[in-house]
Amino acid sequence: MKKVAISIFLMSLVILGVIASGCIGGETTSTVQSSKETPSSTETESQVSNVVIYGYESEMITLDPSIEFSNSIIMLANLYECLVKYTDKGLEPWLATSWEHNENGTEWVFHLRKGVKFHSGNEMTAKDVKWSIERTIRMGMGPAFIWDPIESIEIIDDYTVKFKLKYPANLPLIASSAYGAYIMDSAFLSKIGDDKAITEYLNQGHDAGTGPYAIVKYDPKTEVVFKKFDEYWGGWEKDQFDTAIIKIVPDPALREQMVTSGEVHIAKNLPLDDIPQLQQNPNIVLHEEPSFRVLYGMLNTKKEPLNNKLVRKALSYAVPYKDIVDYVLGGHGYIAKGPIPKGIMGYFEDLPTYTYDIEKAKQLLTEAGYPNGGFKLLLTYTQGDEAEGKVAEVLKAEWQKLGIEVEIRPMNWEQQWALARSDPQNAQDILLFYWWPTYPTPYDYLFNMFHCENETLFNLCYYCNPEFDNLIDQAVVLEASNPQKAEQLYKQAIELLIDDAPAIFFYSPNYIYAVHKSIKGFKAYPAYPEVVFFYELRKI
Amino acid sequence: MARKFGEYIAYRVVLAIFVILGVITVVFFVSRIIPSDPAALWVGAHPTKEAIEKAREELHLNEPVIKQYFYYLSSLLHGDLGVSIRTHNPVTQDLKSAFTATFELILVSEFIAIIIGIILGVYSAVKKDSWLDNLSRILAISGVSLPTFWFGMILQLIFFKYLEILPLAGRVDSVVILEHPLRTITGFYLLDSLITGNFVVFVDALKHIILPAITLAMYPIGLITRQVRSMMIEVLQENYIRTAWAYGIPPKKIYFKYALKNAIAPALITVGLSFAYTLIGAFLVELIFNWPGLGRYAAYSILSMDYPAILGVTIIAAIAYVFINLIVDLIQVYLDPRIEL
Repeated sequence: MKKVAISIFLMSLVILGVIASGCIGGETTSTVQSSKETPSSTETESQVSNVVIYGYESEMITLDPSIEFSNSIIMLANLYECLVKYTDKGLEPWLATSWEHNENGTEWVFHLRKGVKFHSGNEMTAKDVKWSIERTIRMGMGPAFIWDPIESIEIIDDYTVKFKLKYPANLPLIASSAYGAYIMDSAFLSKIGDDKAITEYLNQGHDAGTGPYAIVKYDPKTEVVFKKFDEYWGGWEKDQFDTAIIKIVPDPALREQMVTSGEVHIAKNLPLDDIPQLQQNPNIVLHEEPSFRVLYGMLNTKKEPLNNKLVRKALSYAVPYKDIVDYVLGGHGYIAKGPIPKGIMGYFEDLPTYTYDIEKAKQLLTEAGYPNGGFKLLLTYTQGDEAEGKVAEVLKAEWQKLGIEVEIRPMNWEQQWALARSDPQNAQDILLFYWWPTYPTPYDYLFNMFHCENETLFNLCYYCNPEFDNLIDQAVVLEASNPQKAEQLYKQAIELLIDDAPAIFFYSPNYIYAVHKSIKGFKAYPAYPEVVFFYELRKI
Repeated sequence: MARKFGEYIAYRVVLAIFVILGVITVVFFVSRIIPSDPAALWVGAHPTKEAIEKAREELHLNEPVIKQYFYYLSSLLHGDLGVSIRTHNPVTQDLKSAFTATFELILVSEFIAIIIGIILGVYSAVKKDSWLDNLSRILAISGVSLPTFWFGMILQLIFFKYLEILPLAGRVDSVVILEHPLRTITGFYLLDSLITGNFVVFVDALKHIILPAITLAMYPIGLITRQVRSMMIEVLQENYIRTAWAYGIPPKKIYFKYALKNAIAPALITVGLSFAYTLIGAFLVELIFNWPGLGRYAAYSILSMDYPAILGVTIIAAIAYVFINLIVDLIQVYLDPRIEL
């Protein structure tokens, strides 16, 4: 039986290898706990109050500003800065202090802020602006297309840079983009190597920006840690945070627990059903912030029966818009007025839109030759999106009243998109999805979703109306030089769109942030979705 | 014996290679045949046509699936599991950190399960049909049948919310690790902090691991308790035990030294197999406790059809299964000479 003893011993040795010590530690835990009031704990206390933690739902992707086209801007916008910032007051100076353009908007001159330091200590000059934008264009990754209008970039002097454009464009708006418009430290990065080497270097957990924070620890699956940059041009006040952390917490219920207990200070995307309860919680303050997202139901305009405008109009009337906002969003959002959300050019309060009117819908269906419905529609939405799922259910119930049967099919986004991009005759009839802009121009919405396409990309209603295309193509070049005229053209285009009804415009949701009571100064900018600007936060 | 032993291991390893190759082949083709567009995932939310086309080329998506399969195999031979389509990180690197996190959790929970399982098993056999036996039976049955996620949340509620003695989730407190940076040697926080003498992090990591480890241990505790109990009841009726009593040997010594030795062998097999179970159980536990391990990684990879990552996780899990089975078989042979290789 010696063998047994030996193998028990070996077996436990394997396991003990790691934890044998754990047992000893287990006993000491209690002693450490009881003697928590030691000097070291007061030291910890003082440091803890200087850290702000943002609990975020998904992993970080990349730290390279030329590539990033996803959720990692929540890091980049704290590490880097753009030339211009898009706020609720419009375009405001950021790294550029002012800008001007020639008459038709094909030449732009930006005057840069003086005395701005990169984290390396280098000064930010026109050379960095040119280098950063040219690198993004050269690499041609994710967001590079925003710079399409650029013909050339000239350095006039250290603090002045001139852009020559191929066609008129609203360059300051482009320069305020949350994606692909961050200014990088050219002197420092060009020493690292070629574009690819720079990407690799950055993704190891480095940054080369002018932002108020610098990265100190990058663990994209768990947490990212930022330390304040002492020489930030904006200066520092005593009640700002020395350290900021983005903590990855995918489970919404867990994020809720953490923010109510103060383990994290800011959390977003909490379970909607819990919001009323959270409003009563004395530990947190709820911030409701508008977003630039809109939920659309793209109707298949190439396939029976939705190729009939009357049927599309009937469906648009048969949507209980208000009930959806109340039931799906719990009232945290508003009914969409056309395709463009509030806060962006092209949103019109007085736009004639569809309202819930089931009689009118029946009448239109009869007119179209479907007096009692009698057809079946396939609706797809992105699996796991609770809100889209609820909207789908409401539509199914509502359209049943018209004699229309709806088959709901949740799919993961890539699959859903692949189906939508296949032959429209075999694709879905209705597709639910959100759109939000790369930078806040109405053209981003209207062009991507409703401009004619030879090969389907995001025009998932397969809509094609040359008159509409003509109007928005004219409007976009006038955005900067003649905004009134541009707005008028956009309005015409949108009215045309609403009459053709290639899509149902449901709602624009608000983002709800739960902020712990120990933090003030929180503000969200819809142009920089989900970003928490740590620099603006203050201790209480 | 030794030669036979070596031959047997070699045979098993060759067999394992075929098993793993089979798993890779099946998972590769299944994940590539499902209609989805990896290029769309690769380029982010609002790409241009050019970007998607470029991604197609980079990912070799324009080439026949069979060719892609051989690309994958050849890079696999170089130890390269490809690049995750969702995170753009090398899968090997992702898996390494995720695997150590999961493995640390599994080891601690198995340790807890073995200690508690054996003690409970022995005493409920000794005090058969007493209140202790009944209690441990209830514990064992609930351990096997209670849903892990529910039990984990109850523990969080009790120890975090009401008693406020243990942390809610995560591997280590962000602020603690920031003030006491941990040098990575093995990737196991408990071990690394101990080696480097970083006791603050050690205590903190230990506090973090207790709840998820107990949650994960519930199932193996049930298994081991029942197994040890039934073997012990049998062994306690043997003649040599009666002899031991007659010699007046203290009961504790009889139970744990003489009886347990003979009862433990089958229980050890259970322990080995429960390792494999905990690897799966970790999937749910990791989500509840925000443990940055394999389970969480696998769940998100599957949801987004990130096939290099899915394959990576599958390979790791397959290797772990094969390896654990091999060890279990070997231990069995070692303990019981009557079993032929």
